[in-house]
Amino acid sequence: MGHAGMSTLLRAELLKLRTTRTFFALVAAALLLSLVIVVLIVLLTDNFDKQEAREIFTSDFSALFILVLGIMGLAGEWRHRTITGTILAAPERLRLLVAKVLAYGAAGALLSLIVTVAIMAVGSLLLSIEDKTTVGISDLADVLWRNLLIAALLGALGVCVGGLVRNQVVAIVAVLIVSFVVEPTLAGVAPEVAKYGPLLNAPNGIIGINPFSEDEPLDEVAAVLVMLGWIGVLFALTAQTLRRRDLV
Amino acid sequence: MAPVEIQDLTKRFGSVEAVKDLSFEIEPGRVTGFLGPNGAGKSTTLRALLGLVRPTAGSATFDGRHYEQLERPGTHVGAVLEDAAFHPGRSGRNHLRVLAVTGDHPQSRVEEVLGIVGLTDAADRPAKGYSMGMRQRLAIASALLGDPQVLILDEPTNGLDPPGIAWMRDLVRGQAGEGRAVLISSHLLAEVAQSVDDVVIIAKGRLRAQGTLERVLGGDEGASTEVRAGEIERLAQALEAAGHRYERAGEALLVLGVAPEQVGELAAAQRVALRYLAPRARSLEAAFLALTADEGAPAWGTPA
Repeated sequence: MGHAGMSTLLRAELLKLRTTRTFFALVAAALLLSLVIVVLIVLLTDNFDKQEAREIFTSDFSALFILVLGIMGLAGEWRHRTITGTILAAPERLRLLVAKVLAYGAAGALLSLIVTVAIMAVGSLLLSIEDKTTVGISDLADVLWRNLLIAALLGALGVCVGGLVRNQVVAIVAVLIVSFVVEPTLAGVAPEVAKYGPLLNAPNGIIGINPFSEDEPLDEVAAVLVMLGWIGVLFALTAQTLRRRDLV
Repeated sequence: MAPVEIQDLTKRFGSVEAVKDLSFEIEPGRVTGFLGPNGAGKSTTLRALLGLVRPTAGSATFDGRHYEQLERPGTHVGAVLEDAAFHPGRSGRNHLRVLAVTGDHPQSRVEEVLGIVGLTDAADRPAKGYSMGMRQRLAIASALLGDPQVLILDEPTNGLDPPGIAWMRDLVRGQAGEGRAVLISSHLLAEVAQSVDDVVIIAKGRLRAQGTLERVLGGDEGASTEVRAGEIERLAQALEAAGHRYERAGEALLVLGVAPEQVGELAAAQRVALRYLAPRARSLEAAFLALTADEGAPAWGTPA
């Protein structure tokens, strides 16, 4: 029997997630915000075409919570000074990083599943009651898998950002700035470049929307590859720094 | 192969040499005290041993293997480091459960170690509600989880009350009695002196003394003699002329490595009347200060 296997480390990371309130608090916050927004959109909009109705259920509202979850997954170890104990228990640092990326990808997908199913249920009910355009099951299922995929990728990305920056607050502020300032600004001034943004524009490509212009977003395969590329680069940088860092 | 072997360990942080050419071993069934002033390099040495810090040169191994090479490291080494920390929102029991999963230890072991450290009743409380002593007990439980053959304890009595300190002393001796190798780093010299078999003293990253407690307390030469005399200066000169080393403590001399009989004969030859003559081992504090004087952290000022 060698070092802790990947499944062992994954189980440990998932157990960590289940044994604090962080994950549950983020699910609750994402759920509350998403439900409020969906309810307001449905009630305050006269009607929707099919595409607009579909877009009510896309992942924007929970994406930031998933990123924060991923960031806390690794930057939180530095914040709470548990990184030493974690590495003593799992000294193969690269394997530990992979386990965290996988665990928080899965956790992100679970968060998204809970939120998406809830807003689909509430939103569809409201649309029906308000006699507005509803979304069929196949379209809902289509939105759901895209949301889950984006969530898994963002959860993984969050871990890498958290591991690279190590300061939880700085990492969260950085992703907020990229999401709300950098990528939208870039979409206005350099739309062809902006498509490759990892937090907003590439995920929009996976969903199939471009809220910033009439241009087509990246097609979904390209968008997934772009996000995997960003994760790959950040993972490599994080792995390098994590392996070489002296924990004093 | 020694359970713990430090061989020519050197660690530089930029231009600062924290540890230089440090070599020592610790043996199974014995408690070794690892001592040094603040900034001596103790923490760096322990972290290099545990794979948390990469040595610039040399090696630090367990049975010839680096920490990262150990299979199920928790079954080989248990460590309590000075900055042991826990997620504030996670209970003590869940902290140990996570470690048990990571280290592939049976979950039943969690309850065992909680019982050993006396935390069973508080195990389901989040760690943020733990006192310093309880956090220290949880750290010790974490170190014992894998039933390791080597225990590394950095300031293990931090936050423990006197009964807790006595408990720690019994635990440490008990673990060594069962054949484990125990390495304790502590500032509480009086406490260390009661617990250890061997001592390693470092200062400015270099080895200053190593050996059994008796040998280190007696100095390189072995046991020493305390003597008081009316003409202490004349006696001191005679000792110097005979090539003996001594330390002055007020009106007394501690003659290093010389038996009382020899000191008595020398005094008689010089016709120096003695008031007191007895063998004496130095306190660990005295030995520590003598070995690390001018080598450690900036000197303390004179108390007001």
